[in-house]
Parts: sequence; C-alpha cells; structure tokens
Amino acid sequence: MQNKPAIVLTTALALTLGAAFGAQAQDYPSRNIQIIVPYSAGGGGDTVARIVADVLSDELDRQVNVVNREGAGGEIGIAEIARANPDGYTLGVFGYPDNFVLEQTRETSFSFDDLEYLAGFDDMPMGIFASPNSEHTTLDDVRAYGQVNSGSLTVGESGALGLLHILAFADHLDIEVTDIKYSGGGELMNALLGNHVDMASTSSMSHDPIVDAGGTPIGFAAAERMDMFPDVPTFREQGVDLVMGVSRVLVAPAGIPDDVRDALTSALDAISTNETMIRNFENAAIPYNYLDHEAVNQVLEDSNATLTPIIQDNLDQFTDN
Amino acid sequence: MELIELLGYLAQPSVFLIVFSGVLVGILVGAIPGLNGAIGISLLLPLTFTLEPQLGLLLLGGIYMGGMYGGSITGILINVPGDVVAAPVAMEGYPMTQQGRAKEALYYSVFSSMFGGFIGVLVLILFTPPLARFALQFGPAEMFFISLSGLIIVGALSGSLFKAAFAVLFGLFISTIGIDMIMGRERFTFGQAELRSGVSVVPVVLGLFCFAEMFLNIGKKSTEQVQYKDQSIARLTVVMAIVRKKFLVIKSSLIGTLIGLLPGVGTTLAVFMSYGEAKRVSKQPELFEKGNPEGIIAAESANNATVGSSMVPLLALGVPGSPTSAIIAGALVIHGIILGPSLFVNRPDVAYTFLYGMLLTVLAMTIIGAVGIKYFSYILKIRMQYIVPTVLVLALFGAYSVRNSLFDVGVAIVLGIFGAVFKKMEVPLAPIIIGVVLGPLIETNLARSMRIASARDLSLPQYLLASPLAIGLLVMVLVLLVIVIRMRIRSARAEEQQGS
Repeated sequence: MQNKPAIVLTTALALTLGAAFGAQAQDYPSRNIQIIVPYSAGGGGDTVARIVADVLSDELDRQVNVVNREGAGGEIGIAEIARANPDGYTLGVFGYPDNFVLEQTRETSFSFDDLEYLAGFDDMPMGIFASPNSEHTTLDDVRAYGQVNSGSLTVGESGALGLLHILAFADHLDIEVTDIKYSGGGELMNALLGNHVDMASTSSMSHDPIVDAGGTPIGFAAAERMDMFPDVPTFREQGVDLVMGVSRVLVAPAGIPDDVRDALTSALDAISTNETMIRNFENAAIPYNYLDHEAVNQVLEDSNATLTPIIQDNLDQFTDN
Repeated sequence: MELIELLGYLAQPSVFLIVFSGVLVGILVGAIPGLNGAIGISLLLPLTFTLEPQLGLLLLGGIYMGGMYGGSITGILINVPGDVVAAPVAMEGYPMTQQGRAKEALYYSVFSSMFGGFIGVLVLILFTPPLARFALQFGPAEMFFISLSGLIIVGALSGSLFKAAFAVLFGLFISTIGIDMIMGRERFTFGQAELRSGVSVVPVVLGLFCFAEMFLNIGKKSTEQVQYKDQSIARLTVVMAIVRKKFLVIKSSLIGTLIGLLPGVGTTLAVFMSYGEAKRVSKQPELFEKGNPEGIIAAESANNATVGSSMVPLLALGVPGSPTSAIIAGALVIHGIILGPSLFVNRPDVAYTFLYGMLLTVLAMTIIGAVGIKYFSYILKIRMQYIVPTVLVLALFGAYSVRNSLFDVGVAIVLGIFGAVFKKMEVPLAPIIIGVVLGPLIETNLARSMRIASARDLSLPQYLLASPLAIGLLVMVLVLLVIVIRMRIRSARAEEQQGS
C-alpha cells in the first residue's frame, strides 16, 4: 500500500513525459535546428551541409544553422553530435567513413551505432593523381616501378580516408609506398603540384585544379566511370578491385523519437528532388547521389564490412594508441 | 572583358557599397578581440550565395582586407591586439598612446596598411602566374628553413635574451600538445579528447594579450591609471612621413607579399619578419617597443600585403594560402567556379573583377580608417572600469567562437593568468606566439623531409639541400643568425656604456 503514491507518481510522470514527447513530435520542429559540421568552413563536407541546410530550412519552415566544430580529423565534432540531446534539434553532416575509420583506429567516445543515419547526399570516389613531373602516370607504370623500388614512391594524403586509400591501393598493387601526411587539402595540392611528392591520394573533387596544373589522374576508386570525368578510368577496369569514396551523410544522435525521425526523413525525401539543390551540388562539382534512410543504412553497413579488414590489417599505420 | 567595361562595373555605387560594407565588417570583427577576418567571412558566407559571384567575392575580400587592419586599432589604443597579426603594432602603438600620440599611431597604422594593401593587390594583378609557380617550389625542405628563420627573428626583439628564449620554448611546448601530425601519437593530452586537436592559436593570443592585460588592469586603483592626453596631428604629416620611409614600406610590403604566398605559413611570420627587419636596419633600434613608428609601418604594410598575395596560389592553382582564403575558395565552389589556371579563361569576368575590385577594398579601408580615427580614439576617454569587463566579455565570446568550444575559453583564461605573470616578470609575450605558430611548421616539415629522404634513399642533409632555393634559404637562416647575434652584442655594449 505504501507503494501507491509512488505508482501514482510514476504514472503521472510517464503521462507527462509521454505528453511532452507527443507534443514535441507533433510540433516538430518548433524551434531552429543546428547542424554540426566537424570540419572547418569551406571544405566539401561544409559545402554539402550548407547546400542542404538552405533547402531543408525552407521545407521545415525553420532556420537550419550550420555550426563548424572542427578538430582532430573530425573526431571532436562527431563526438559532439553523438552526445547531443536526441531531440532532432541537433543534427550533423560529415563524410562517411571518417567516423568509422576514427572509431576503428582511435579510442573515440562514439561508435558507429551512436548515430542515426538519416540520408546520404553524394558519392565522391577517392582517386590517385600523379604530380606534373612524375614519370609514373599509369597504373601499370606505378606497379612496375613500385615492385622494383619498394617504398620509394611517395604519396601525399590529408586525413584518415586518404591514408586508408593509399594503404588499400598499395595492397592491391602488391607494392610498398611511403605515405606523407599533410594537414589540409590546400597543403596537399601544393605538395603535388610542386612535385614534392610523386602522387596524391585525394577525392575526385580535386580533379580539375590538378589536371589544369599539369597533374595526371591515375584512376578513381569508383564502381564505374564518373559522368563528370568520363576520361578518367576506374581502378576496376584496370584490373584492381578497389572501390572507396566519401559519402556525406546527415545524421542525428541515436535515440531520437521515431516520429521526429520520420518527420526528418520525409522532409529529406521531399527535398531530394529539389532542382535548386541539385544544381548547387553540380556547381560545386559534388556528384549528387541521394540515399534515403533505408538505403543509406544498407550502403553503410556493406561499406563497413569492406573497410574493416583493410583497417585492421594496417592498424599500426594509423596510430599506436 | 575590356578594362574600360570593368572599370565601369567597379564604378557602380552598388559595387562600392558592397565593398565598403565588407571592409567595415572586417574592421569591426578585426578590432574585437578574438574575432578575425576568417570568422567575419564565415558569418557572411551564406549571404554571398545570393549575390553575383564577383560581388560575393568582393564582399569577402573586403572583410579580409578590413580584418587585417582592424586588429591594430584596439592594439594601439588599449594594448589589446584584436588579432595575432596586430601584436607587433600594439608593441609600438601602445607606447605611443601612452605618450599622447594615439592619433599619430593610428594614422601610421591606416596609411601603412593602405600602402601595403595596395602593393599586395598590385602584385596579385600583375604577377599571379609566375608567383604561383614560385610558391610551388616551397616543399618540406624550404618550408623548414623559412620557419626556422622566423624563430631566429625572436632574438632581434628587445629584452633579455634568456627570457625571450624561455618564451619561444614555452610557445613551442604549447604547439606540441595534441595528436602529432606525422606519427599520430598523443602528446600531453592526458586522455582529454579536447586536447587531441591541440591548442589553437586564437585562444592563446587572446589569453596572452587580452586577458593578461585586463587582469593586470583589474587590480589598479583608478588614480594609477594613466590619463592620456591626445595630441592632434595632421593626416598629411603622417602620410609624408611614411612616404619618406618609402624603402621601408616597399621592403616590408615585399616581405609580406612573398611570405604571404606560402600556404600554411600565414601572415604571422610575415609580420614579425618585417618588424624584425625594420628594427635591424633602423637608425634608432633602441626606440623599438617604446613607440617607434617604423615598427608600425613595417608590421602594417606587411600584414595588408599578405591579403593580395595569399590569394595568388588560390586563384592560379586552387591552393588556398590561408584559412581565410580557404573559406573564400569554398564560397567560389558553391557558385560553380573552379579555381586554377582555367579560371582566367573560363570566368574572366569573375577573375578580373575580383582582382581590380580588391583595389577598391584598399580605398574603402583607407577612407574608413582615416575618417574613423577621430571616433576610434574616443575609446581612450572611457574609464578603465568599463573597458575591462567589456573587453573580457568580448574576448570570452571570441575564444568560444573560433571552434564553438568552451574548452578554448578555458585555454584563454589559463593563458591569461600565465600572461599576467609573465608580464610582471618581463617575459616578452610575442615570442610565445611565434613559437606556437612555427612549432608545428618546423616539426612537420622536418618529419616530412625525413620520410621523403628515406623513401628516396637520400640522407637528410642531401634531401634538405637538394634545391638551390633551399640552399639560399639556409644561407638566409645563417646570415640572420649572425645579424641577430651582432645586434645583441652591440646593444649589450651600449647598455654597458650607459651603465658605466
């Protein structure tokens, strides 16, 4: 009998909470939404976030603000997204598989399942580019030279995915190369175009500036040739089964209420055919490829399975923590 | 696009209005401690999406130009440089304010900025392609030597050599915190995720220059606070004085231009290099840090000259030379403008409008500065008890805003306490900043050199001295070292003679 007040209280609390949650979902969004981008302003991930935020804000009739929270290769910002209040007012945009590579190679406070993946927006393959003065401008040249001169080819990269791509590339060609780290895309470009490294591992977005300055694309790690760059061969058609790229995803912290999630995914589905948005992606040379809630989860699961062995085989290359 | 047509476009009132607002925003964010051009640009970035690309670019370029100047105003008036590049200006300008020469210092600052900015933009217009190729020659070896030369400059600043050396080492230590770039090892992070990305420069600058100055002011009784008399001075007098120092202006602007070209090195090195060089050649080196306008001329013309030149690799190669120009690149990308050599072929309208429009930003900066100085110096009439809380609040906000991080606010406060103690002990603060900025450059470029050398089966010296440019830079490092040692010996002798 003594429990009765407690039960009443709990029921009342549950009802209030239920009402609060119900009200929240019905009204969602009742205030402005913030999108955390774990990189500095001006890069590819930031650009995607801003293009999407612009259209999403019209669709939801609320302001959608992009907040840059860079640091430690994206780790700081992604951790912040994962531990945000799962109420649908804090979302995040970043380039998958940055979170997965970080989580596998460092002691991060987040894991893959701490995030709810709502949609994917692009599919940008990684590529290997030769420097303007390089004598090794085709895959066969690189392989032939690399097999004789182990470790003497230098490949620049900026970021964990760039490194992972180099490791997988070298594995597939059965050669050893020396990776050289740069702290940003600008520095990497400078090193490649100034012939300070033999090759660079970066995304297809850098194609035009590199080729304009005399560099050569050796190949893209894409499943098939890109519409934007029909002249650049894939690794696959050159007999190397390497597909790796970055896909900007919109995420929420895991545990957001189902109806808030549904409100967001249907808004995202609705804007996915918005012509202005698609044109902005094209303008920014970002290959638009919308993946809805279901598709993005399927694609990421598959990709995790492909990446895991590559990362695990090369763990010592990332860090010794 | 014909030149006439271009000038007609730029002469439109709406274009000038955009440039003018950009510069004004830049000066304001520059003057507020902790905010800088990069932050102003990210705030106004969304606005540019709705503008024509060339107008959007000019708005951002205006903020960049204004931001480089704005930081000096608060530096000169209350010894709180709004930005790291304004630190040397504060070292000369604040003593001038204490002598009642605030307006003079402010005029020196704005007109030197004008000359520097103008030369920088002119170089951008005339020499973009060859300079971009020159910038590309800077690989790990060259970057290593040039960063090293920046450390040597510290020896040229006045004060005790041991205290300056301590300050540099303290700065270098701060720069080692975080995940190291090359090996991926954590250093001094104590398991804190926030420390992994290292301590960023802005909270360090805020702590050392802004919090420390304000903390020291808190304890003072109002009677101890200096009441500044403000002598008036004609603008033309200052302009003529600067023109008489034309070699200093041109040399400082060229130092700014050349170092501003190099990606990652940034303006900090350029500003301190030209300041140190001005002191070396000065006929009155003993007046430096006591209010020598030559220091202001050197620092201001160098930092505004970097605005133009840091855009050179951006426009010619698509390689951004500074964080600010990286954000400008992002804005262009959204407009579908691909940077690089093809820019001048595919979108000459955008490229040339921007190039020549940057001259307008220099004009707008000069007008705002020259007219505004009367109003800026009203800050001196405000009582210290109002300035301290206002500056502290702005600085807290500034420290937070760089990475939206409360942790950075903590860093700024802790360094503020350090800074206050250092000031009491007469440890110079500028070398700390130099250490923080150059530490990672020296380390990563040396590590890269070692990796590339071993990949190519070369010894480290073989790799480092493989190019004529690197050898030239090494010679420069050695010559600088000799010069600094001789300066030291000379000033030690002078002191001895004064003492006896």
